[in-house]
Amino acid sequence: MKKIEAIIKPFKLDDVKEALNGIGIKGMTISEVKGYGRQKGHKEIYRGAEYIVDFIPKVKLEIIVDTPQVDEVIETICQAAKTGKIGDGKIFVLPVDEVIRVRTGEKGKEAI
Amino acid sequence: MQTAIEPQDFTGLQARRQALDAYWQQGISGYTLLRKHSDFVDHHLASNFEKSVPAGEGFALVALGGFGRKELYPFSDIDLMLLYDPAQKEKLPGLVEATLYPLWDTGLEVGHAVRTVDECMAAAAEDFFFRVAMLDARLIAGSVSLYTQLTEIYKTEYIEGRRREFLDGMLEQRIKRENQYGRHTYLLEPHIKESCGGFRDIQSMVWTAQVVFGLKDLTAMRQAGLLSLEEFKKFEKAQDYLIRIRNRLHYLSDRKNDQLFFEHQEEMAQAFGFTNEKDMLAVEHFMREVYGHMQTISVTTDLFFEHVEEVLGREDEQKMAKILEPGIEVRNNKIHLVNTELIQSKPQLFMRLFYQSARTGKPLHFRTRKTITANLYRVDANLRHSRRNAKLFLALLVAPEPFRVLEEMLDTGFLTAYIPELAKVESLAQHDVYHVFTVDRHLLQTINELQQLIEEDANTYAEVNSPHILFLAGLLHDVGKGFGQGHADRGADLARKIGERIGLKTEELDTLDFLVRNHLFLSHTAQRRDLEDEELIMRCARRVNTEEKLAMLYLLTIADARATGPTVWNDWKAALLLELYLKIALVLGRRDISGHEQARSAKLGAQWIRDKVSELLPAGDKINFTLFSDDYLLSFPPEVIVEHITNAKKLDTQDVLIFHEQSTESWSLLVMAKDRPGLLARIFGVLALHNLNVLAAKIFTWADGTAVDTIEVSSAISEVYEWQDWAAMENELHLAIKQRLGLEHRLNQKLAPLRSKPLGTQKRLAAKVTIDNQASELYSVIEVFSEDRIGILYDITKTLSDFGISIYRARIGTKADQIVDVFYVLDNDGKKIEDPAFKDELQQGLLYAVKNE
Repeated sequence: MKKIEAIIKPFKLDDVKEALNGIGIKGMTISEVKGYGRQKGHKEIYRGAEYIVDFIPKVKLEIIVDTPQVDEVIETICQAAKTGKIGDGKIFVLPVDEVIRVRTGEKGKEAI
Repeated sequence: MQTAIEPQDFTGLQARRQALDAYWQQGISGYTLLRKHSDFVDHHLASNFEKSVPAGEGFALVALGGFGRKELYPFSDIDLMLLYDPAQKEKLPGLVEATLYPLWDTGLEVGHAVRTVDECMAAAAEDFFFRVAMLDARLIAGSVSLYTQLTEIYKTEYIEGRRREFLDGMLEQRIKRENQYGRHTYLLEPHIKESCGGFRDIQSMVWTAQVVFGLKDLTAMRQAGLLSLEEFKKFEKAQDYLIRIRNRLHYLSDRKNDQLFFEHQEEMAQAFGFTNEKDMLAVEHFMREVYGHMQTISVTTDLFFEHVEEVLGREDEQKMAKILEPGIEVRNNKIHLVNTELIQSKPQLFMRLFYQSARTGKPLHFRTRKTITANLYRVDANLRHSRRNAKLFLALLVAPEPFRVLEEMLDTGFLTAYIPELAKVESLAQHDVYHVFTVDRHLLQTINELQQLIEEDANTYAEVNSPHILFLAGLLHDVGKGFGQGHADRGADLARKIGERIGLKTEELDTLDFLVRNHLFLSHTAQRRDLEDEELIMRCARRVNTEEKLAMLYLLTIADARATGPTVWNDWKAALLLELYLKIALVLGRRDISGHEQARSAKLGAQWIRDKVSELLPAGDKINFTLFSDDYLLSFPPEVIVEHITNAKKLDTQDVLIFHEQSTESWSLLVMAKDRPGLLARIFGVLALHNLNVLAAKIFTWADGTAVDTIEVSSAISEVYEWQDWAAMENELHLAIKQRLGLEHRLNQKLAPLRSKPLGTQKRLAAKVTIDNQASELYSVIEVFSEDRIGILYDITKTLSDFGISIYRARIGTKADQIVDVFYVLDNDGKKIEDPAFKDELQQGLLYAVKNE
């Protein structure tokens, strides 16, 4: 099992969610995050006032999937989240030791 | 028909659940159920007690608190006190075992104490809550004389002569409760007991009435005139409703729970017989009732406590009344209506009272608020249509504390009487976890947030020229709720109707309509659209249209989000919204100068103009369109461009051409000349010599070096166009261009008196100069911010010319006392100003120029 973490542009969330539903991914955790990478923050000046945008708002998705499905999920996210411009985001894949459903105590694949 | 079940029909306290179920089956709910429950417990306690001490002498079983009032909810605590005569101490253990032990088996929380009369008094001396609990003491079984002895001592020691002290204790508890549970009744999950407008408020009022006035219940208060018949009926109904809720809530949660949690609300709504309807969910109906009743309790108890405070008021608070206007005075820091009957003959006093409250920052006296509520039927169509009334209303919206005054207006019922459209959203709940407030409270909260944004975001607020429209939009933006989908559009229509009724001007109506209709537009766009899509930003800019409307919409969006609930607004959303705002603002601010931002649509527009201009030119005239940039073409109608082209031919024989005409709000000048260093400075210098203020200017230079400058001016001394000595000005402009006019010394002489003009009380604005090489591909963009004064443009452009800077385009903006000038420039080598040392030098030079006095 793997955990896939994807950082994407906020307005792409609906597209990505829909695309993932399309390949049978039913659950995910979504959070509002801020940060910067190659797409640095910037300074805006308007009417003499400086507005500093140092961290850029992004959305983070966390999805646990069974290992064979990892590539499909990554591809789906890439396709749906891509605009071709800087700041489209990143995807991380992490190993997961165990998954347990709290209500039933089920473990492993069954609990995803 | 079944016969009623009595407590003795059940054996032992353990049958409590069975008893409650049986009562419930019989349709007993509300207050009767509380009594039945209490009687049941009484009955079994008394029989156990009497079995143990048959004679009953020397002991008394006393109920306290809610149990003392016979208000026993299914899982209420049972507060008991066993009072004993010290002489009988040895019988105590047996008695305690017989009476108290069975209670523990019921699973209820039992508060019990075993005390002598002296011990009671010692406890009362220390504990305010015990003193309060004693007010509800009730004898269940045992010695009447022992019980009477206790209550008599209690009365002489703690009530007689200590009324003020009691009130202070009560008020202190009230404030503590408000801090802990919130000042308002409209929280998402109201606490039926402790929230504002809950049972504690009712009890505090009844206790205080008991101690201060010797009135034992609501009916007695009504008879003493503390409550009007209207108030009494409404209050009783509200109280009854809350009792039923609390009963049901205990059942539903199967424990002592007095908070109406989100997950219970739907089930409660069903239990109270509400069903889902087209426009409103059952749960929203139900919660609306709940909030409405809690609001009644909250308002009534507030008025009551203000009354008591006045009755027990300290003498040093009595000050002389000060008349504010006929019929309205200030006494003890409260606004009073001098004579309650006055408002019936002069209904304009309603708004005048609130206006005076806003103006002076002093709240309305409770009796005046009661008078307003009692006379609301006098708020009629005449009053709602009155311009004078509307003026006061709009004025109080932009007074320092609109939130406080609007809250008084809402609580007295005046707000919904004056704007009946708001009645639809009164106490209206929205069943989701985002909306913490009912719609009416959310609207007020939005005003509160706007109030704070004035300071927090002063920069943006400075763009707003009609704050009353912004605040009115804040108050009305959700007026379309409660009818299902599409509340923004419906709200805009309603807001327009309201605006028309109170006599707003056409453009004010349009702005109000725009703000209400689009109040979700910015936040939706910021979160759901690609902000790097330039087409999108252009579309937004077209929709918003002006910088002022953008600033208003931005502030409204923030206020709305912050007023919705703690989960709605955060840094993350703020960052997205700010990005969108700045992007639109930049497009709007540079709309007529920056070519590359306008992309395709501009190209198409320019082509259309070229075609048009070709059509309009006399046949045979050939024109080289490569002379004109797209943004020049897009800045004028085709006919005007044709005029420019025709005029330009005369420049072969003349140095400069000047045309002037009167337009609706200002005078327009067109100056055309072959470009040369310092041309613009010379033009602005001559204008200043002739007392002309530059309001706006568009500066273009054709590729062949023909300067086409259109300048909007107004005179600083006269408003009459004909009085202006245009001929003299034209003459001097010729001289100036031929370099035969000593502009510097003439201006200096001329401006000397003006320069010594004392500064107003307004805060001085720091001058600021920025040089940006990113904003445009071809030019450096210089922005100058400064206070306005006559001749400032001459000083700026002269300085630029001294540095050898060529101005290719310019945008002159004056707003109130501030100028914002943007120049698109290149240095004398035709390059951008990249060298840091030169950039800094130029910046310092310009700063000196604008400060030069």
